[in-house]
Amino acid sequence: MPDHIQLEKIDDYRWRIPKSYKPGMRVPGLIYANEKLLESIYKDKALEQVANVAFLPGIVKYSLAMPDIHWGYGMPIGGVAATDIDNGGVVGAGLVGYDINCGVRLVKTNLQYDDVKDKLEDLTNRLFSDVPAGVGSEGNIKVGAKEEKQILLKGSRWAVENGFGTEDDLECTEENGAIPGADPEAVSERAFQRGKAQSGTLGSGNHFLEVQVIDQLYDREACDTLGLNLGQVMVMIHSGSRGFGYQICEDYARKMVEILPKYKINVPDRQLACAPVNSSEGKAYLGAMRCAANYAWANRQCLMHLARQAFEKVFGLSWQKLGMFLIYDVAHNIAKIEKHEVDGLKKNLCVHRKGATRAFGPGDPAIPQRYRKIGQPVIIPGDMGRNSYLLVGTQKAMEETFGSTCHGAGRLMSRTASAKSTSADMLLKELRSKGIIVKASGRKTVVEEAPKAYKDVNEVVDVVHNAGIGKRVCRMRPLGVVKG
Amino acid sequence: MAHFFLLKNPMKNYEVLEHTADIGIRVKSSSLEGLFKSAGLALVELCAKKQKNQFPEKHKFVITQKAANVEELFINWLNELLSLSSAEALIFEDIKINQINEQFVDAIATGTDSRNYKTNVEIKAATYHQLKVQKVKSHWQAEVIFDV
Repeated sequence: MPDHIQLEKIDDYRWRIPKSYKPGMRVPGLIYANEKLLESIYKDKALEQVANVAFLPGIVKYSLAMPDIHWGYGMPIGGVAATDIDNGGVVGAGLVGYDINCGVRLVKTNLQYDDVKDKLEDLTNRLFSDVPAGVGSEGNIKVGAKEEKQILLKGSRWAVENGFGTEDDLECTEENGAIPGADPEAVSERAFQRGKAQSGTLGSGNHFLEVQVIDQLYDREACDTLGLNLGQVMVMIHSGSRGFGYQICEDYARKMVEILPKYKINVPDRQLACAPVNSSEGKAYLGAMRCAANYAWANRQCLMHLARQAFEKVFGLSWQKLGMFLIYDVAHNIAKIEKHEVDGLKKNLCVHRKGATRAFGPGDPAIPQRYRKIGQPVIIPGDMGRNSYLLVGTQKAMEETFGSTCHGAGRLMSRTASAKSTSADMLLKELRSKGIIVKASGRKTVVEEAPKAYKDVNEVVDVVHNAGIGKRVCRMRPLGVVKG
Repeated sequence: MAHFFLLKNPMKNYEVLEHTADIGIRVKSSSLEGLFKSAGLALVELCAKKQKNQFPEKHKFVITQKAANVEELFINWLNELLSLSSAEALIFEDIKINQINEQFVDAIATGTDSRNYKTNVEIKAATYHQLKVQKVKSHWQAEVIFDV
């Protein structure tokens, strides 16, 4: 049990940090977890961070934590915080994080496991060679300086206009692949410099491209709507805004620390530095953050295009014939202006999701027409040895979590500890014995990203499903993994 | 739980600090100048290893940073090194501090093409999370967590 925070149990999946825990908390903390996950959550200081987030000016209802919560910097990874824009609500660069619009997309195919099992080695190798990955990797999709601004404004649409996808892809992307209000003038020259040559690159660390197979169906109606079946081969892509986004976060995190006295904001951790949404600094950050978000959507659109081309080469059929249609693309590091009900009133909120996914329920106009009946698809990547999930958003998430749910498995072990506990050779052999082929730019990444470094995503998803803030649709297991 | 361990190589003048999601360092020096220099070079050592000298040309950059206090200056300094290194696609191999106090640093960083290096980890930024920069008796000590 914790030596510092006593949580109040609400039910088996909800735990409260009372407002009285720390003077200065404006709202209580609310943690979604079961007893087993709480044991690992107690091991670091993530709960203290949930309490610290509750200090933010204008925060409403709760400082929320999803079951994949882990210790971040300032705000925990797996945190959600919404602030009331019309009541001094703030926006913070550190509340979104460095990898702005890090996110996931899921692509279906009409291939079955039997169609790929003998070609899996070729397919994984082809994906590895055709999709640029790794630290500082440069993309094959070259962009001129003039076009760069178009990417920031148009996001995925820029990619589609340049032949890297279809209108259909845009419909199946959160915000249709471009959040309005992007302001390239709010982006520093250095950010442009850091972002150059990285369009169409996967990046490193926990970013990946996976070939997966559906091994469990949970919701027949949703699967029918999405055109999914047992044994179907899927492609999942996890990437973000690369150096471009890091620089925007850094520029504004620095600025926000400097202007804390100007707005008389007191936060217990400088990494929580923020500015009122309606201030010039808050507006500039949102304008720049949206540029990075759009850059990330364009990036994932390009990555999907490269993956489709790799499949075409291996199977000798067009991607359309292979049925490689986008299911959905979600952001899991972002701040969005959304309307939600607070104390019976609809309010304009700035919803920060840092390691959390939007999960809007059925009927919401922000969801593509084709999915409106079932709710917004939510993609939850797991580690490279276990499972990933497809969920849909729920009405309960709209009521309790500003339409948010978890984003992945969540780290359990530090990168160093993980690297020390296993060797790359052993791990690759073990994964191969489970039928999983891994190709990575660096062997260090492989051991740092070992499955045991992560919480069990099955546990995490179990909590959000049972708490009602996400509904299981189907589960995938990895077959071929490409890592940076 | 975060804990410290000493790297085996006694020549290194920093320790690696473990953190659930990220990685950090603890640096000690008898002077502020030494602290900033060691932290900057530790940053390079954490993420890149020299493998060849195919692109030997050296590139020099003047780095000038100011801040309200020594902790913010330390973060600004490390982030400028990271950002410049990423934007210019080079790895800094030498740092010369020209002038430093608790609110100001002026230095020259010299680097070569990053293609000479094998990069193992991409550090996105130095964070304020659990940041400590302080004078302990006669020496300076800093602890910083990087987002990777």
